[in-house]
Amino acid sequence: MQTRRFLGTLSGLKRFYREQKEIFRGEKLSIAGLIILLAFVLLAIIGPHIAPYGSFEVSVEKSGFVPQDKSPSAKHLFGLTRYGHDVFSQTLTGARTAVVVGLVSALMVVLVGGNLGLIAGYKGGWIDEVIMRITDIAYGIPFLPMALVLMTLMGRGAWNIVIVIVVLFWRTTSRVIRSQVLTVKERAYIKSAQVAGASDLRIMYRHIAPNVLPMTFLYLSFAVGWAVIAEASISFLGFGDPDDVSWGQMIHQVFAAQMFREAWWWYLPPGFCIVLLVMSTFLIGLAYEKVVNPRLKND
Amino acid sequence: MSLLEIRNLEINYRSRNGLARAVDRVSLSLDAGDTLGLVGESGCGKTTVAKAVMRLLPEKKALVRGEIRFKGRDLMKLDWKEIRKIRWEEIALISQSAMNALDPVHRVGDQVMEPMIYHRNVSKAIARNRMAEVFGLVGLNYDRAFDYPHQFSGGMKQRVVIAMALMLEPDLIIADEPTTALDVLVQDQIIHQIKELLSRLNHAFILITHDIAVVAETCRRMIVMYAGKIMEYAETEAIFYDPYNPYTLGLQNAFPSVKGPKRELISIPGFPPSLMDPVGGCRFAARCPFSLPRCLKEEPALSEVGPGHFSACHRHVDVAEIRERARRFETWLRDEAA
Amino acid sequence: MIITLWVLITVVFFLFRIVPADPTAMFVGAALDPVSQKMLKEMHGLDKPKLVQYVVYLNNLLKGEFGVSIRTNHEVIGMLRDKIWNTLFLMGISMCLAFFLGVGIGTFLAWKRGTAIDAAGVTLFLAFRSAPEFWTGMILLVIFGYGLKWFPIGLMLTPGAIYSGFWDKYFNWDFVHHLILPVFTMTLFYLATPMLVTRNSILDILKEDFIELAQAKGLSDTRIMFRYALRNALLPVITIAPLMVGFAIGGQVLLEKVFSWPGMGRELVDAVSGLDYPVVQAAFLFMGAVVIFGNFLTDVLYRILDPRVEIG
Repeated sequence: MQTRRFLGTLSGLKRFYREQKEIFRGEKLSIAGLIILLAFVLLAIIGPHIAPYGSFEVSVEKSGFVPQDKSPSAKHLFGLTRYGHDVFSQTLTGARTAVVVGLVSALMVVLVGGNLGLIAGYKGGWIDEVIMRITDIAYGIPFLPMALVLMTLMGRGAWNIVIVIVVLFWRTTSRVIRSQVLTVKERAYIKSAQVAGASDLRIMYRHIAPNVLPMTFLYLSFAVGWAVIAEASISFLGFGDPDDVSWGQMIHQVFAAQMFREAWWWYLPPGFCIVLLVMSTFLIGLAYEKVVNPRLKND
Repeated sequence: MSLLEIRNLEINYRSRNGLARAVDRVSLSLDAGDTLGLVGESGCGKTTVAKAVMRLLPEKKALVRGEIRFKGRDLMKLDWKEIRKIRWEEIALISQSAMNALDPVHRVGDQVMEPMIYHRNVSKAIARNRMAEVFGLVGLNYDRAFDYPHQFSGGMKQRVVIAMALMLEPDLIIADEPTTALDVLVQDQIIHQIKELLSRLNHAFILITHDIAVVAETCRRMIVMYAGKIMEYAETEAIFYDPYNPYTLGLQNAFPSVKGPKRELISIPGFPPSLMDPVGGCRFAARCPFSLPRCLKEEPALSEVGPGHFSACHRHVDVAEIRERARRFETWLRDEAA
Repeated sequence: MIITLWVLITVVFFLFRIVPADPTAMFVGAALDPVSQKMLKEMHGLDKPKLVQYVVYLNNLLKGEFGVSIRTNHEVIGMLRDKIWNTLFLMGISMCLAFFLGVGIGTFLAWKRGTAIDAAGVTLFLAFRSAPEFWTGMILLVIFGYGLKWFPIGLMLTPGAIYSGFWDKYFNWDFVHHLILPVFTMTLFYLATPMLVTRNSILDILKEDFIELAQAKGLSDTRIMFRYALRNALLPVITIAPLMVGFAIGGQVLLEKVFSWPGMGRELVDAVSGLDYPVVQAAFLFMGAVVIFGNFLTDVLYRILDPRVEIG
């Protein structure tokens, strides 16, 4: 009995993998995006370990002098910050923050927003009304200002950033998924499942959910990109986690030190990393977009 | 000289899995003022042929070979500027309109007048006059020109599209499934309208449809197509009273006639073949109840079986027997394929 | 609509008052003697229960009073009035540019679909969208401000300049000169969204039957693109406009910091860090109003453009 379930899941996974492969076939840009994203995930895992220096390590020279603001050299590939920290190490370590915040926030945004949208769309009635009203209100709240308020009240910290992002970003996903669900709901096999007496839960998760999966993945990809930029923005404004290194925070320090005129080595690397990471997620999204809207395909 | 002459038209579609042979060496000719019907199942290539005449096929995906001579000029060799000049002025298209042929954000009148203003650079007043004329021809109230498409019923939208085609008095009008999306009563009205127009005006007319009955009422000549090839080609009367091709016989069976004797509807079992890598032999052989081993190997050429009557089949000699058997229901059951 | 605004104000109002720290401590210095403290509390109405404070606040709002800033003790409205205009100008111009350029480029790319230009264009603007505004702003500042010295390095107007009035202040070359870099940065960032939506929308429309009929009518590609494709494609693009406005307001905060632009964004950040609730509340009220107005405008525009929707 259990082996059958296990094999069922295994074959389900295999099928899932094959379907995803099909989606990406021929989409050079999206495949490039996927590779870049995976590279960053790898970096997130091993980054802090391969960094030549600690993120907050200050190297003291023999004379007791602490070098600062140095441009790139052999010892410090990306140079030093005003505080004597190695930029290269910070960049590598920062990958972890960006990737973790990005992926976790995005996943939760989609889980919350997706489920709310599914329930609202399928159940209709007052549940729909309530959820949609809340979504409407959420839409009216500008992200960054509210994020700042929440960060002030909750205190600094990477996980707080995740919470803030989730609380404010689920709205887009829920609305979009809901409209898709409304369309799928009317299809014949859903009606027949209803007539056959299937429970709401079963219909929602076994029949409707798989159909809105491409759309969900699309928004998942976008959400990662948005989350990374959101985290960088919050950190840039000085509300980031002081104990952690993040790319946004590095740029914040450059600006605070008013060093951006000279210390190009300090803010260009983290910036480029953000660009690459976010770009990769958008490119991946392009492939899912074509699934959701086949008219966009090139053939 | 005929108005339109197509010679050995071959159209291949590029798709992910290879080339699909949509039209396989089709030739036909049409004189000025004459009417021709192109009949066949969906996917048999009839629409593709029509679109090719107006060069509406996507250039990168559809590879067109052969000659399409219109008033003596090979349309395949003209450049875009000239093609655009010919479009609508000399060849116009009536499409299926019940769905989407009219742009939802512009008024109907603007869309109808547009070809005239655009091609002939005339004033709006002149265009409006002509529009009133054609609206009258199709039985539409002139006031409706100020409405938007979503305010029209299916039948009325079809009339608009017909009127639009008449605006510049083209030499040739191609109608692509003009009645398919309409319900039966409206279909009848539209067919009557078309008949009336055909008798009054002398545009040449090509009608594309899968509904053999519509062709019977409107066209003098008829081509039956299957899987990109011409199966039978003759005057409509000849095809109805004197059919030679088994596929034609099958088609006739599938359409009910309110007038004739009561009989069972017989459909042709099976599905049209894939257009990729066409197999040798007659395309219809796999579904044909009268096929011989020869049919599967050798492709029959179009041969003349009567004055101006052509058919592609190896078994013309047995036509009498075939006609007899075709009338019987059992012939068309799957396992009876002889 | 108004409900959204109301909920927003309420949320912000109570958010600050649920904070563990003693909210009154901000208003009233702890070092003061109890009598003065009590006086100040009464003055600010802080001795009354929260709900009463809330009602009083709403009441004042309707009268047009936004309270007094905790940090500066000036009237909030005086502080913010100018800043509001500064922000509106920057944001308004950037958004309009981003929208129009976005639609234009999107149409162009849709026309060139499948070619290298299409891929290059999409990638380029996606890259700009992926680069954080503040980072792009910094780079542009360094290159064009410090480096080439084409543009001033921040602020809105040359310090020390005196203006005779509203029009004089904003409609002069100095203002425009200062405006260019921040607007350029913002436009680059935000233009990707309408561009992509337009491009996709047009690609969608191009497969419709009426486009084929337009081709059959012998119309030129350009005419079909603009008169039929774009006109239809604009509808979905317009619906995302309010979303863009929502994001842009947040983005303002970032840019105002980088370019030292004296606007609402900067005020907001300072007010939040300083727990200056009245200012924060007023700022949110303003932002909410902008978003709501944007929504309303979009609705109206949509009704005008789509004849299928009944007016009214």
